[in-house]
Amino acid sequence: MAVKPLLTKDFATEDLHRLSVYERTGGYTGFKKALEMQPDELVELVKKSGLRGRGGAGFPTGNKWGFLPKGTYPRYLVCNADESEPGCFKDRYLIEKSPHQVLEGILIASYAIGCNLAFIYIRGEYLPQTEALETAIDEARQAGYLGKNVLSKGYDIDVILHRGAGAYICGEETAMLTSLEGYRGEPRLKPPFPAIKGLYGKPTVVNNVETVCNLPHIVLNGADWFAAIGTPTGKGTRLWCMSGHVNRPGNYELENGTPIRELIEEHGGGVWKNRKLKAFQPGGASMMVLLPEAGSLAGAGAMVVMDETTCMVDAARRYVKFFEHESCGKCTPCREGTFWMANLFDQFEAGEAKPGDIDLLLDIGYNIDGRSFCPLGDASTWFPRSVIKFFREEFQEHISEKGCPFKKSVQEAVA
Amino acid sequence: MATVQTDQVTLTVNGQSVTVPKGTLILDAAKKIGIDIPIFCSHPKMAPVAVCRMCLVEVEKMPKLQPACAVYVAEGMVVRTTTDQVTKYQKGVLEFLLINHPLDCPICDKGGECPLQDQTYQYGPGASRYQFDKAHFDKAVPLSDKILLDRERCILCWRCTRFSEEISGERELALIQRGVHTIIGTFNDEPAQSNYQGNWTEICPVGALTSRQYRFISRPWDLDRTPSVCPGCSMGCNIQIDARNNKIGRFQSRENLAVDDSWLCDFGRFSFPNFQRQSLERPRVRRDGRLEEVSYEEAIAFTVDGLKRAGGQAAGWASPADTNEELVLFRRLFREVLRSPHLDHRSAAIPDAEPDDISLAIADIERLEHVVVLGGQEVIDAAPVLHLRLFKAQRKGLNVLKVGGGDAKKALDGIPADAQVVGILATEANKTAAVELQGRLQRKVKGSVRRLIVTTGPNGRGAKDLGILPHLGPGYTSLNGQAGKARMEWSGAGLRALYVHESSPLHGFTPSDAESMWLPTLPLLVFHRFKPSPLDEMAHVILPGHAFTEKDGTVTNMEGRVQRISRGLDADWVVEDWRVFQEIANGLGAGWAYESVADITAELVRSLPPYSALNRGERVLWSEPA
Repeated sequence: MAVKPLLTKDFATEDLHRLSVYERTGGYTGFKKALEMQPDELVELVKKSGLRGRGGAGFPTGNKWGFLPKGTYPRYLVCNADESEPGCFKDRYLIEKSPHQVLEGILIASYAIGCNLAFIYIRGEYLPQTEALETAIDEARQAGYLGKNVLSKGYDIDVILHRGAGAYICGEETAMLTSLEGYRGEPRLKPPFPAIKGLYGKPTVVNNVETVCNLPHIVLNGADWFAAIGTPTGKGTRLWCMSGHVNRPGNYELENGTPIRELIEEHGGGVWKNRKLKAFQPGGASMMVLLPEAGSLAGAGAMVVMDETTCMVDAARRYVKFFEHESCGKCTPCREGTFWMANLFDQFEAGEAKPGDIDLLLDIGYNIDGRSFCPLGDASTWFPRSVIKFFREEFQEHISEKGCPFKKSVQEAVA
Repeated sequence: MATVQTDQVTLTVNGQSVTVPKGTLILDAAKKIGIDIPIFCSHPKMAPVAVCRMCLVEVEKMPKLQPACAVYVAEGMVVRTTTDQVTKYQKGVLEFLLINHPLDCPICDKGGECPLQDQTYQYGPGASRYQFDKAHFDKAVPLSDKILLDRERCILCWRCTRFSEEISGERELALIQRGVHTIIGTFNDEPAQSNYQGNWTEICPVGALTSRQYRFISRPWDLDRTPSVCPGCSMGCNIQIDARNNKIGRFQSRENLAVDDSWLCDFGRFSFPNFQRQSLERPRVRRDGRLEEVSYEEAIAFTVDGLKRAGGQAAGWASPADTNEELVLFRRLFREVLRSPHLDHRSAAIPDAEPDDISLAIADIERLEHVVVLGGQEVIDAAPVLHLRLFKAQRKGLNVLKVGGGDAKKALDGIPADAQVVGILATEANKTAAVELQGRLQRKVKGSVRRLIVTTGPNGRGAKDLGILPHLGPGYTSLNGQAGKARMEWSGAGLRALYVHESSPLHGFTPSDAESMWLPTLPLLVFHRFKPSPLDEMAHVILPGHAFTEKDGTVTNMEGRVQRISRGLDADWVVEDWRVFQEIANGLGAGWAYESVADITAELVRSLPPYSALNRGERVLWSEPA
């Protein structure tokens, strides 16, 4: 059953990014309705809706709000728009098409948690999106949605837009807060969790762009309505960023629980060039690779499709190099381990790998996974280790054939 | 059943039960029962950061290995530090740390006292599986004129950057770049200006941060290590004199929580070249206008002769870097033997009217609510390690009010009337103002007001306590109208002899303009000192003496703590300074029979009971003035 899109329903409307157009589609009515409610009611509403965070970890949003210690002010909301996961481009789309929807979601969340100053931490490379948000913030301020005593309801709220400087790690919430405070973006020791001691040592909620975009719709249509969409554990819709070897790459907003095959075949238009699906990766670089016959539920927002001509060793190499480049350098296992893995993968690529190198890779992965401070280190090992698990013979071929057996066919495919 | 104390937590580490206060880290709980957990980034003086990941251990019910340096104990916690998982990981993390470490131990200053080296031997793999080029970085990068950084050896433990942030508060060192390319550096590569840089070299767990002075000087196992006290100032920071082949290689810190909290300042630490002996020197006396080498006996006889003629018109100046034992004999020589009251240890006119009997202890600064630093930076310059104590206390909530020496009014207004514990820090130059401020604050606030006066030199406090002053006797007793002239007045006082004794070039007798005119006119100038100086040209007698680092004895720091200094270098051909005093006194008919420094220390304690604090490791406290 195809559920109508929620967040992207009006995205075909021209100039949706302008306040007047957004308002014509019903924009800011969710915020107006929210202001008529008590903040606690809103928290309960979102808890009841079953909305889970869309940033990757999938933590129930209402519960996260509920962790803020009573009576401690100021408290902050930080909207995580530092979308840096390879294969993820949903937040970019949401911001670009409808920056006011993001803003409205932020306003509702801020009101619900009693925050008077919210931040948007946006990926530095997202320049057009930054400009879209800047314009939206100006428009909203002029229209009285932002500032002192908004809509004459006695609530003060302002939003500060902050651009990142190009570090994947700053998408990790504590690193984001550290970066926002003006320090080097590095994850912090947890506990204390941001809800207790976050930005500037104050209680802080960090919510993803897509998460907050759901809020106006939940407020307008109710918790039960939202909870009826999706699966028992995954309510609502998700934006899937389809990329790789498919005919129609792009963003697709689909009901939670949509089977992967439907996602790839129907929405993505199938694997390109009539080739066979070899593997896919849900959830960006920080996930394991899955085989076509594996899990039918897509977990997170990305879907990187790899066809039969893909060299899995090379795919893993590129992910490992990404993590090597993005490791902040704080923890020894991640800093040194990703560097070493990257060297080993280069060696496979160059046809200089030795038989023991496959197990060495696994062992390095074992010594990184679970040993670092934040999940970046762990994640750096999942893709390569899963590739070794499913495609070990490709590694062996790289050794026995002293090079990449796919190189030739890949070059043909590109041509 | 025993009563359960709520502030205590019992856990087991490797099956051994241990009870520790709540809020203890697993690392420290394990240490308490002798279980070693290897660490690099963890440091007892700094907040846990858990970045090196060396200390991961198994904690029951926790799925991942936990950093022992950052996880606090809990009741019933079960910790295991030697399981297969832990030992395999320890090998793994050391292998990681070494893949980009140059392993140039044979030419590294740290080799032999290097935690990375030691822990690799104890916990690491025998060989590395890493077969690629190491990441290369700049070596021997000058961070300042004192410190060099080898970026290849650095394992990014953050101790130095955290020191810069948490201990000195100067934030001069930072991490630059990221991932494996991360380096330590200063802003825009500008030279570091901190006065605490030497500490970086001590906390560095590898040979990345090294001091220029000590570079390639010695292997650690070739050093003779002697516990002593820093000659830099009146703080009395505990040091270790590390010497090789009878030459000082470095001063290292020697933790004394009550005094230095394990740190040294660069002024003190890097002052040791002043104490390197240049030559074998013999006594000299001036005959027919020329200095002639003579034996000690001859030089002493010459001195006795001259002093006999001067009698009560002889003045004595002893350095505030002399030991208490030397000062006891020096005072007796002048007051009892020569019957001269003209004694001093000062270089400027400073008031010493009353003892610092109610002085604040250095460590007690941490327990204050408010502190007035009267003179601001002057006070810190006079005893730099005080800054670290102040900053530590400030981070815990102490209100530090730095005001100019003449701004006592500002300080008075700045302390609220409901203050409970207030302190005043000042140099001797501002002592009068400090005493006055103390009185006025005491009338204003509810609680107590105590002061700590930064004295001059490593034993300026001892010199005052023991009566090396023209107007006071030992223990600040009155001279009953027999007060002599202060040094500032000597040049116009018609004196007939001057005996200068100094043991540290840092606290020597530097003549004023007036004194430079007066010294050549003296019938007798005896210069008993460690190192050649321009004063030699005017002296009639030059008696080589021992340096601060070449002798045994005690010194008293600004807060009255009496600490032992020890002979870190041998200069056997130099007659011990106290023996020279005794010979001179006996030449003048005194009949002293001290046989050792210990004899004099014993007499000091006997004759001045507050100095019995020495034997208890406590502070000398004088009775409160009425």
